[in-house]
Amino acid sequence: MPVLYRASSGYLLRHPWQLGLALIGICIGVAVIVAVDLANDSSRKAFRLSMDTLNGAATHQLVGGPGGIDEGIYAELRRGGLRRAAPVVDGRGDVQGLSLNVLGIDPFAEREFRHYSLAGRDERSVIDDGARTARGMEAKALRQLLAEPGASLVSAQAARALRLGLGDAFEVRAGGQARNAFVAGLIDAGAVGQLLVVDIATAQDWFGLLGHLSRIDLRLSGDGQAKELRHRLPAGITLLAADARTQSMSQMSAAFMTNLTAMSLLALLVGIFLIYNSVGFAALQRRGLIGVLRALGLTRREVVGLVLLEAAGLGVVGAALGVGAGIWLGHGLLELVSRSINDLYFRLSVTDVSIGTLAVAKGALAGLLATVVAAAGPAWEASGYRPQLALRRSLLERRSGRMLPWLAAGGLASAGLSLVVLQLSGHSLLAGLVALFLMILGFALSIPLAVRFLAEQGARLAAAVGGIPARLAVGGIATSLSRTGIAIVALAVAVSATVGVSIMVQSFRGAVLEWLDETLRADLYVGVIDGSLDPGLVEDIARVPGVSEYSASRRVWLESEQGRTRMIVLKMAQRSYAGTRLLDADPDEAWPAFERDDAVLVSEPYAFRYGTRRGDLVTLETPTGRRDFRVAATFRSYDVNPGSLLISRSTYARYWDDPQIDSIGVYLADGADVAAVTDAIAALAAGRQSVELRSNRQLQALSLEIFDRTFVITDVLYWLAVGVALVGILGAMLALQLERARELAVLRALGVTPWQLGGMVTLQSGFIGLLSGLAALPLGLLMAWLLIEVINRRAFGWSMPVVVTPAALGSAVLLSVAAALAAGLYPAWRAARSRPALAMREE
Amino acid sequence: MKKIILVIVFVIITGLAVRGFRGPAPGDVEPVAAVPASSRLSELLGADADAGFPLALEPRPFRFPADHGPHPEFRNEWWYATGNLDADGGRRFGFELTLFRFSLTPDARPDPSAWRTNQVYVGHLALTDVVAGEFHVAVRYSRGALGLAGAEAAPPRVWLEDWVMAALPDQDADREPPWRLTARDERLGIDLTLTPRKAPVANGEDGLSRKSSEPGNASYYYSLTRLAVTGAVEVDGSSHAVTGQAWLDREWGSSALARNQLGWDWFALQLDDETELMFYQLRLDDGARDPMSAGTWVTSDGVAHALGADDVTLEVLDQWDSPQGGRYPIRWRLVVPGIGLDVRIWPVLDAQELVTNVRYWEGAVDVEGTRGDNEVAGRGYVELTGYAD
Repeated sequence: MPVLYRASSGYLLRHPWQLGLALIGICIGVAVIVAVDLANDSSRKAFRLSMDTLNGAATHQLVGGPGGIDEGIYAELRRGGLRRAAPVVDGRGDVQGLSLNVLGIDPFAEREFRHYSLAGRDERSVIDDGARTARGMEAKALRQLLAEPGASLVSAQAARALRLGLGDAFEVRAGGQARNAFVAGLIDAGAVGQLLVVDIATAQDWFGLLGHLSRIDLRLSGDGQAKELRHRLPAGITLLAADARTQSMSQMSAAFMTNLTAMSLLALLVGIFLIYNSVGFAALQRRGLIGVLRALGLTRREVVGLVLLEAAGLGVVGAALGVGAGIWLGHGLLELVSRSINDLYFRLSVTDVSIGTLAVAKGALAGLLATVVAAAGPAWEASGYRPQLALRRSLLERRSGRMLPWLAAGGLASAGLSLVVLQLSGHSLLAGLVALFLMILGFALSIPLAVRFLAEQGARLAAAVGGIPARLAVGGIATSLSRTGIAIVALAVAVSATVGVSIMVQSFRGAVLEWLDETLRADLYVGVIDGSLDPGLVEDIARVPGVSEYSASRRVWLESEQGRTRMIVLKMAQRSYAGTRLLDADPDEAWPAFERDDAVLVSEPYAFRYGTRRGDLVTLETPTGRRDFRVAATFRSYDVNPGSLLISRSTYARYWDDPQIDSIGVYLADGADVAAVTDAIAALAAGRQSVELRSNRQLQALSLEIFDRTFVITDVLYWLAVGVALVGILGAMLALQLERARELAVLRALGVTPWQLGGMVTLQSGFIGLLSGLAALPLGLLMAWLLIEVINRRAFGWSMPVVVTPAALGSAVLLSVAAALAAGLYPAWRAARSRPALAMREE
Repeated sequence: MKKIILVIVFVIITGLAVRGFRGPAPGDVEPVAAVPASSRLSELLGADADAGFPLALEPRPFRFPADHGPHPEFRNEWWYATGNLDADGGRRFGFELTLFRFSLTPDARPDPSAWRTNQVYVGHLALTDVVAGEFHVAVRYSRGALGLAGAEAAPPRVWLEDWVMAALPDQDADREPPWRLTARDERLGIDLTLTPRKAPVANGEDGLSRKSSEPGNASYYYSLTRLAVTGAVEVDGSSHAVTGQAWLDREWGSSALARNQLGWDWFALQLDDETELMFYQLRLDDGARDPMSAGTWVTSDGVAHALGADDVTLEVLDQWDSPQGGRYPIRWRLVVPGIGLDVRIWPVLDAQELVTNVRYWEGAVDVEGTRGDNEVAGRGYVELTGYAD
């Protein structure tokens, strides 16, 4: 067989561009999958790692209500002989613009949970002999931590970023106030990165949690001890397994990540088309060779084996390149992903891409399989003819022409199946994605038939307008569908994705904008980053001339064994009510119930996720035990949290002991000067709290900025898909031109000028682009609908109207034509330069 | 004379500090590896003498029960109970329960948080199971805040979480109250009632116990030299009813060892002629005994006689090599010519070294010899520090 291999590799080497394009196709497809997986995995892992580091060896955690857990409970447990327990008060602090985790601990309780290694002891403290100095420094660090307010162990990473050394004083903005701190020690904080460790007394003071703890970490010996402890706990205190708690916190971003994965699959799908295109084409190209081999007596299986082996070789190389490119791309994506997660969900510092073997294997395998499968069909088909027939091209076209209706029928079936899946799958996001892909597949299979029809019609039209060359160019598309079909489909799918995604984003953005407009009704918003407003300051602000009323809000998490629920506590101003749109209740009934009768409102995502309706009861963990609250209405919200509850301040005050206010919305009296009131509030706050003061316009702009940032990833991914499709068109056009070299030469011999020839190829490319673009529109619209009504709804519970603008559709067609023209430039140039004598002599 | 506190508190700290910011390794209860390999005790203690704490300069009369309670203005203080116990069937135990109090700073500044304090408590619980040949140790730390740990004078009570030493209410106000000691850890526990047989005796110069020639390098020190014990000890899940005799030391001050002091050997012996002897020997780095070494002899009717360095001779008869490193003297001949005492002292178990953050040896001993013409025997406790390097 070595001769055969030489025939195979020789062919590929003589057609380097074909080899190159096939490799690029495989490479990009694999790279996108690997990159998205790596970015997702890395951010998930970074979150888990930092949670694990912060939780230390805790197996369980005791949590209280929104105001934390009474510190007396800890002392009681300890005196009762529970040894493996550590109190924690945590929060966020800001030092010179750098946001840090602040962990307030009791060093004596920590030994069972977390260890702190003082770093940098050699750098600044070598005075005497090493051992003694180290010991002295550590002793001093602990003594300072316990006895001196503001003493901090600073992670080496943070210290580097802030240029802080041992003993240096610095200012922390915590709980909205500037606090004095100093470096008592430098520690190695592992995955947490930016961390300040302070004594619990310091943390309580900084975060306004005097008398309370954020949580109590526990190391329990087993379920028995957990059960026994659960029995002894007072009402309002919940015992949670640390792992489960971390899990439910990381779950918050699960839908976001699933959507990213779906995006990467889309890129793979387009990639697979491309791989199929290049690899399959390489096989088709050698129908002559295959015919010769068969004539020489090779069996069909041997021929197919040869082609598959070649494809596998290509697949391996392409996948290897793809993995490399994917890791590189993953770094870039990770930054985008972690920024969005930071914007939307929780603080995350991802320092490096963790290269998971699973992600890499998945991507590489997908690429390899796609390659082999793509080559199998054409190889099987080509080797099936009687040897002398295989050399004739017209037969192939006829056969593939006959297949088009069958393909289209398959496509219709796939689309039908998609609808069935949608009907039967309830709220499952995964099933929604499956349906989406079935729908895309269905369309993709039907596109060639549509293209043939359009091209035939187009050829007639072209003949009328541009004469014979135009007719040849456009008609050629229909007669060489076995070459161009796949490229057209790839381009159409990529373009339809841009249509679908851009319509979805546009509709979403519009809905969010409207929602923000409606919700942000106050003229000014005053809040504190990672903290609560000073109650005295709130009262003073209410008395500023020009302020007519204010609304006050607090956002808390309620934790139970079932997971975490976001609750928004609102003291409404008269003008606030109109800002919350109720979806299923009469405001005149719902609001009084909300204010007076212990009723709560649920957000639309909450209602979707839990199937809650008006009139249902929701059970919440209160300091006095579990209580049922009636749902008065569902309200519209595009909050990213998987559902939140709205409760009135008065109801909240009846059950929870937590007077904190996170932010207020200030409503101005008619004719009041916004600037003057802003200045007055800023003056009031100066020296008391560092508050964030924003007008509703600013806040709206900020929200939209975050929104847009979130979709940057989406943009990146769909441009990659378009890129893949572009390479596909380029490959198809080159192949076509190569194959038709003689035909073109004949045309030249007949007197067609090089310019005309180039023009024909360009026209053909342009028409391919136009056909792809047109074919992409219905699929794009359907995708938009699926993304909005199925995917977004199942992932986040949001609903929004679909807004289709002509511009979105027009620009998609333009994109398609432009892409195809760009890809056709080089083939056109080559066609124009071809020397007819050479081409005709070849046989 | 248990300045071990200083060492302990310095090294807790080290224990906390040595590993990375992560969970402890499995089975890792005491950060033994944390003990720094080197260093002379005196350097460690001397290195951090903190100005601002009041010093023990003048003798002062002790007042009870007030002085059973804490003296938080001084840097360090301890309640130190040791004793020899007998259970049924010839089973014998030694116990040590010590609660140390330590001030991190001379003054306690007011702070909004209930957690802020300059008071730190450390507890050591040790049980010598003589017949089984086992020695068990447990250690605890806590800040003296939020009721987690603390000390009170009326009624006298000191505690560290669920480890408690408390004077029991007594009908007769003039009598020394009995003490109840309860402490429990995973493998060991004690619940003992200690009834004083003699009034407290002041050590040193009317209670001022000087540790070096430097003025102020001293502590206030009194002892309850003989308390009858009843109660129970628990080892590995089984409880044993016990009776026996205990010794309770109380000491507070702000000083540290002098630079040239290596460590000390402390003896507390209860003899069967109803007398008790306490003697501490401060060892200098040139191998000599510090002339400030001292002791107290308590007669059967409770009268205390101070002993100076020259009143006592100590001869080491044998030594013991710790598996952790370091060689301890382990058998002695102790002679006090002034009272005609000549005894041999040996441990009930060699391996009574507390391998906590700082290593020291503290264990039950037996005593036998003569006083004048009479044979005398007894039991006691010995503490040896500064040998572990």
